[in-house]
Amino acid sequence: MRVYILRRLLQIIPTVLMITLVVFVMMRSIPGDPVVALLGDAYTEENAIKVRHEYGLDRPILVQYVIWLGKLVQGDWGASILSGRPVLKDVLARLPVTLELIALSMVVALAIAIPAAIIGALRQNTWADYAATSIAMFGVSVPEFFLGVLLLLVFSVGLGGLLPSSGWVYLPGTCQTVVCAAGLWGNTQHVLMPAVALGVGRAALLTRLLRASMLEVIRTEYVTTARAKGLGERPVVLKHALKNALIPTVTVMGLQVGFLIGGAIVVETLFAMPGLGTFGIDAIIARDYQQVQGFALVTALAFVVINLIVDLTYTFLDPRIRYA
Amino acid sequence: MSDGRDTRVTRSISGGSVREAELGTTPDAAWPARRARAESPFAQGVRRLRRSATALIGAVIVALLLVVALFADVLAPQSPIASDQAHTFERPSRAYPFGTDQLGRDMLSRVIHGSRISLAIGVSSVLLALFVGVPFGMIAGYYGGRVDSLIMRVMDLILAFPIYLLAIILMVIFAPTAGIIGTIKVTGAIAIVRIPIYARLVRGSVLSIKEKEYIEACRAVGVRDPWILLRHVLPNCLAPIIVTTTLGIATSIIVEATLSFLGLGTQPPTPSWGWDLKANVAFIQSNPWISLFPGLAIFVTVLGFNLFGDGLRDALDPRLK
Amino acid sequence: MRTRRYLPTLGSALIALAALLAMLPMAAEGQAPKRGGILKVAYGNEILGMDFYTTPGYEMAWVAMNVGCGLVSITPEGKFIPDAAESWQASPDGLLFTFKLKKNVLFHDGSKVDAAAVKFTFDFVLDPANRSNMRQFLGAVHSVEVVDPLTVQIRLKQPYAFLMHVLAVYRMGMIIISPAVTQKYSPEDRRAGKPEALVGCGPFKLVEWAKGTHLVMDRFDKYFEPGLPYVDRVVIRTIKDPVTQMAAFKAGEIDFIADLSADHVDTMRAQSPRAQVMSGKETTPMVAMMKVTVPADGKPMSKDRAPHPIFSDIRVRKAVACYGMDRKEIVKIAYKGAATPWAGIIPPGTMDTVDVNHVCPYDPAKAKALLAEAGWGPQKPLTFELMTNTEKSVFNVIATVIKEQMARIGVTANIKLVDKTTWLVTSTQDGVFDMFVEDLASLLTVDQNSYLSASTAAWNHSRHTDTKIDDFYARYAREMDPAKRKAIAKEFQEYSVDKLYWNTISGSPFYQVAQPWMKDYVYQAEFKVVYKKVWLDK
Repeated sequence: MRVYILRRLLQIIPTVLMITLVVFVMMRSIPGDPVVALLGDAYTEENAIKVRHEYGLDRPILVQYVIWLGKLVQGDWGASILSGRPVLKDVLARLPVTLELIALSMVVALAIAIPAAIIGALRQNTWADYAATSIAMFGVSVPEFFLGVLLLLVFSVGLGGLLPSSGWVYLPGTCQTVVCAAGLWGNTQHVLMPAVALGVGRAALLTRLLRASMLEVIRTEYVTTARAKGLGERPVVLKHALKNALIPTVTVMGLQVGFLIGGAIVVETLFAMPGLGTFGIDAIIARDYQQVQGFALVTALAFVVINLIVDLTYTFLDPRIRYA
Repeated sequence: MSDGRDTRVTRSISGGSVREAELGTTPDAAWPARRARAESPFAQGVRRLRRSATALIGAVIVALLLVVALFADVLAPQSPIASDQAHTFERPSRAYPFGTDQLGRDMLSRVIHGSRISLAIGVSSVLLALFVGVPFGMIAGYYGGRVDSLIMRVMDLILAFPIYLLAIILMVIFAPTAGIIGTIKVTGAIAIVRIPIYARLVRGSVLSIKEKEYIEACRAVGVRDPWILLRHVLPNCLAPIIVTTTLGIATSIIVEATLSFLGLGTQPPTPSWGWDLKANVAFIQSNPWISLFPGLAIFVTVLGFNLFGDGLRDALDPRLK
Repeated sequence: MRTRRYLPTLGSALIALAALLAMLPMAAEGQAPKRGGILKVAYGNEILGMDFYTTPGYEMAWVAMNVGCGLVSITPEGKFIPDAAESWQASPDGLLFTFKLKKNVLFHDGSKVDAAAVKFTFDFVLDPANRSNMRQFLGAVHSVEVVDPLTVQIRLKQPYAFLMHVLAVYRMGMIIISPAVTQKYSPEDRRAGKPEALVGCGPFKLVEWAKGTHLVMDRFDKYFEPGLPYVDRVVIRTIKDPVTQMAAFKAGEIDFIADLSADHVDTMRAQSPRAQVMSGKETTPMVAMMKVTVPADGKPMSKDRAPHPIFSDIRVRKAVACYGMDRKEIVKIAYKGAATPWAGIIPPGTMDTVDVNHVCPYDPAKAKALLAEAGWGPQKPLTFELMTNTEKSVFNVIATVIKEQMARIGVTANIKLVDKTTWLVTSTQDGVFDMFVEDLASLLTVDQNSYLSASTAAWNHSRHTDTKIDDFYARYAREMDPAKRKAIAKEFQEYSVDKLYWNTISGSPFYQVAQPWMKDYVYQAEFKVVYKKVWLDK
């Protein structure tokens, strides 16, 4: 088991490196570089050449990549060319926001999916089943930003500003700035709408998956045995079916988190949240190479690490599965 | 949003209950032998499809969309790009059933013409991914070894990218434009992101039937590989491919709308639902209709494809029912 | 009969009431500013960096003018008022400017702002190694000398009528930096927003800049104007999406939107009827700039120029941009009429501006005739690319209307929408484009525009090579008599619209929105966004 984990951890490294290399090369294929924006009014050809040389932007791409890599292993993620801010510091400041958003989105998705799946599995092919799956289906057909806008209109503009439209209040302890707005209640208010906007779309797939798995399990022997033992239907379903249905669900959740990491971009932009999504897109559009690398690195890492955790979780959920 | 990504499940775990709960169909689906007369799986599928109400609704929506897109020029009462400064921000009325936008353009016509772009991008991006991904998947699965390893590495790389990150970077590289070229660029960007899904899907199917006896027999007799691939392997992957494609169209339409929202999709004045939604959302307080209708159009279309795809899936793999 | 006894009482009561009512307006006017509170401001764009002298963009400058102080400032009417300098005088020949500093001006770290600091500031800016964006404006400065600790002299190489304007407003004002702090910290420290490295002498001191989250400034207790500023703290956030901006405003989460985009003003007024929506005569031009020359050898910024295949011909420029564009229609659709249709190079709100709209009336017939004369027509249809960027939605609206108008004269304009950075690179680095729609810099004076339109300017987007334009700017800057200057300006603007290297469509209005409880904010377009006199009536 330990060997397996070690092996997987080692496999992460080349994948992550490949991603960062691809992003590195892609960013430099985009027309324009940060130097024009950096110099602004003081832009002249000679200044531009000087600055490009200072930042090593005139060297071959692969050399630049190796330099970046070299600094990375020493723990230096570089500094933004445009703002001079250290990338790692900004990434760490933004990470808790996006992590919280993603986690809560999954909670929202499960909160819709689990009841819908249970209803669907227990009352298969009845109107309740159709209703439950339909609700999930609606969610998946609405683009996140549209849902976000609707929520914004209803809860922020309408209803007397029940929920705040933008900004962020940190969970106590996660704030990295000197001036902090922190508090549990404030945090809840700020994260609610974005999490719903992002989470509703995930519910459909999870509903279907859970339902299918539960149906699958319901038919298998050991549930029949449990029933024969005289246990009521509900405990049977909840305990055995659900537990076993969690395995494929967990896999898909793992994949969805990957989608969410990038998909949070839209929601974060709409709700002006200081998370990794806005960090990434601002960096790409401003051609801030170092920031984009930081963003690509952290998202790639998150993605592969989450997949590893998902794989490891299987062992806890289904004792029949063992790794070589 | 479901797509072939779920076939990843089979990679991490060898065998076990997980595989059964896998979403796509497995090629050796056991068709229940209920009828005395043998019925082809296809006919059985169609019969099941006809029975499912949701699938029918989805099919109707998709058909409607196709009609609207094909006959957009005839159906649209006015030009979608002609601006009329005397009639800006009109509310829905007899003359303008969906109202007009900031430039006085008729929203109904824009929504009708927008269906072309959405459908075109949705369908062509998925088809492109299919035509690239399926062959790669077949080659990888059939030949195995280093070819397999190499191809799957590349696919893994693409899959490891958060979908929007890749699409955004690609679009920034391609530089969004209007017109045909712009549409092609968006199509390409979305297609690239979806190729690995098909590759994995097909590879999984190929792997499972590769070892079958009759394939061995074919080889022994001297049937050439490509023929084997086409004639025996491909038909068994057909069901999951169809399902994935239909659902993929739904996803692509949403991705295109989101790219437009970020300013990176099809550019004006090409009518695009995503663009109209984004551009008019700022005026939602004074005139909610002009952003609502494109939004509804996206919603109904995606819903249609999802329902249809769902229905297809249920029809083609009864084991999930 | 009994009522007669009450009449005097009633009468005096009424008189007293009348007197009381008469006093009320005076009481309201003399409302004393309340001290305290946190002012919450929203920007529509990110602050790109915090180094006062090298970071581009209005957003940083709007922070710098609150954190820093300069020698002089300016009122909306154009009158110079003291800032750190209490008085100043120019020598009769206009070559020597002497400034006397106030005694009590301090930097945020407690050190004195003296003549040495002022000299250091000028030397710093003038040093090419520091790549300051203010350097180009100080071309006329020969040297800066310390006369005594509170007196500093600026010596010019030649007469320059706009030195005071440069100090007060160009690049939004020249702020004094501390020699000790500047030498101690690196440009990266400053750019990254380290509070210790960004010490100024303004009413607010920088507490923290967390990019993408907030920027916080606190009251500087030892500010040289006693009693100011009133608010304890200013918190600035960036909210890019206008829907979110307006929702935040309506909910009272923010007190002030520093730059509301023009298309959303109506929605804002409808949503928040009591909001103070502030605007003024436009000082920023909205242009549809045509490229006049291209590099002869294909190398960008090459000195060898070749004519642009389409717009080097003045007949085509006039046909397309003078007679072929209906500026009134553009303004009506893009701004609902809330902007000024304008053809002149100098915006309607700038000093010494001249209305030359009569030179370019909308005349599609004339446009078609000119095009035919230049060789374009049904046999050789004219097609060009119209580039614009995604920074403001109004650019795209204007581009779309122009496309329509071009169709009326038989010209095809293909819209190309790019992001701001790509636009910046293409338009300033001699990239490939035919025409672009954008609004450029806010101009206080004609002189400021020389950096954008002189033939030698790095930001000469059209890349024209007409040195007569440069002559106009030079004469204008050297003329000390305001009346003669005005005449030069008039001649210049008439010449410019005749040549059409620079094509203006309209003014670009600038809107700011404040909550009803935010008092005493003075609107000064993009030039001054200062909070020192602002107080919150809560």
